[in-house]
Amino acid sequence: MHGIPRFGGSDHDPYDAQDGDFVKTTSPLARVTETLLLTAFLVLVLAIAVQGAFQTRAQIADTFNRQSAIGQAQIMLEELLRLQIVEEDSLRGYVLTKDPFYVDQYHAAVLDFDDKLATIRATIAAQQVPVVQSALAQYASYQDGWRRHIASQVLQRPDALVSDLDKRSKVYSDYETRAATLVRSELADRNRALAASTQEQIDESAYVRAFFLLLFGLLAILFNAYRSRAYRELEEEKYTTQILQRAFRSEVVPLPNCRVGGAYLSASSHLAVGGDVFDVYRLSNRLALLIIADVSGKGVDAAVLTAFIKFTIRGIALRRRDPNAILAEFNTAFSQTVENPYLFVSMFVGILDTDTYVLRYASAGHDSAFVRRSTGVQQLAVTGPVLGVMEEPFGDRMLNLEPGDTLVLATDGLTEARRDSGEQLREQGAMRLIAAAAVEPQALCDELVAQVRAIGGNHLRDDLAILAIQIAPSEASHA
Amino acid sequence: MRSVAVLALAAAYLLGCTAGAWADCKLRGGEHVVLYGSADDPSVLAWDSAERLREYNAASFDEARALALHAIDLSPGTRAQVVSCRPDFVQSQTADVVGDAVGVLILTGSYRGLTRWVLSTDIRDVDRAKKQHH
Repeated sequence: MHGIPRFGGSDHDPYDAQDGDFVKTTSPLARVTETLLLTAFLVLVLAIAVQGAFQTRAQIADTFNRQSAIGQAQIMLEELLRLQIVEEDSLRGYVLTKDPFYVDQYHAAVLDFDDKLATIRATIAAQQVPVVQSALAQYASYQDGWRRHIASQVLQRPDALVSDLDKRSKVYSDYETRAATLVRSELADRNRALAASTQEQIDESAYVRAFFLLLFGLLAILFNAYRSRAYRELEEEKYTTQILQRAFRSEVVPLPNCRVGGAYLSASSHLAVGGDVFDVYRLSNRLALLIIADVSGKGVDAAVLTAFIKFTIRGIALRRRDPNAILAEFNTAFSQTVENPYLFVSMFVGILDTDTYVLRYASAGHDSAFVRRSTGVQQLAVTGPVLGVMEEPFGDRMLNLEPGDTLVLATDGLTEARRDSGEQLREQGAMRLIAAAAVEPQALCDELVAQVRAIGGNHLRDDLAILAIQIAPSEASHA
Repeated sequence: MRSVAVLALAAAYLLGCTAGAWADCKLRGGEHVVLYGSADDPSVLAWDSAERLREYNAASFDEARALALHAIDLSPGTRAQVVSCRPDFVQSQTADVVGDAVGVLILTGSYRGLTRWVLSTDIRDVDRAKKQHH
């Protein structure tokens, strides 16, 4: 045994497993954090993979463009060599025939050659291949030398012998061929290297993608496993919560000669429990214990206290069937159990004789208690202060109910229902609603809840509990 | 008649000098060949000595122009007969061309009867081509 549990303390730790009482599970915050971290990591891996793919694509495109430029240069070089031969052949033709057509052809070839040379030089310069640039410059200088030293002289003196022209041209031609061969060879090497580089990049990209795919897949599996575990934990927690809620939840049981209805709304929309509680409990075949209480505060902490209230009052009521004494004894227990001096409880406790319809009740500061008779709605008087504040004695009252009368017990979520303008419903408003509500207790409760929701614009500021017990009308009673 | 004898003696001399080197040459003494350079530049320079042929291929442009005085320019298709060979004797300046220096007796054209040195890459083997054709 661990003594009396104490509520409202500020230093309680749900993971304090010193006696092995609690099973340690991942806290919601840690779960959210871990999920976020894993998700972020997955997104990061995916982003890196996608970025890498785009980067590789850009690199491959760049290499491909360079290879394409080198290919163009190779084609242009062959064209250049063809134009060089055209120049030489034109000159030879002119020497042999003295036909000016060949001179024109020669000049046209010179222009084409220079144009082509400028283009190939620009292409090579852009690719930054110094060896080729140098060899090309050498080639161009030989061709220029041939034009200046051979061609121009022949054009001035066309009576030169072809054999003489050929021999003088031969050295230029040989060296141009050598330079062109070097350019050709270098361009081919460059082309091969770029092709190999492209292939290498494609291979590397495939490996990197495979790696990231594997990593992403593994992370996804890990994430899924984590999610499954978290889901299982949540399911277990949900199951545990449902069981606990059963203990906390306000309950009604059927009573002889009575019709009972109840409604509960928590201001924390995701919780089925709150700081309000009602209880209908049969003490004997005739006597029924009716409780409605409102704990200051709301949420799970308040809900835990309501469970304490429900079961403590039941326990006391089984021994002492006097509402006044029940409240007094509970007040003492409450003061000894609850540490928080700012916590208090308003409570209505009634014991209804279901044979005689006599209700004895005591109200500890709980003013939201009404009885609806055929003559109208009447508020039941408060008989003492709220619990947990002082050790004042509690009075009690007796009320004779008639068939058809309805006892309506609510919490301040009803009377303090507030419009957007700030105007509260208060007791008078609540009594008007009760007077106009349905006869059947459950329908009455549902109607009041709907009204409160409508007043607050579907927004609940406080927990709301409503309990309605109608003394069955004569015919229903007989039935 | 006297000139033919001198020619034969010269050819014999060349053959004799280089007889030991034949083993590494693709061409054989007495083979009939056609001289043809590259498609871009089909004419062939023929040199008065194997050394000059080698020097020309390794020389700078200006040196080559000076050396060219010792060469004759043979028209593409000139026929000749192999009389001598120095295997791998010629290496270009850029080292991308390695070839044999081949001594040939020119059989056609204006230089018919002269013996000169040419690069093996400028030689087309007529006999072998014929045999392959048949």
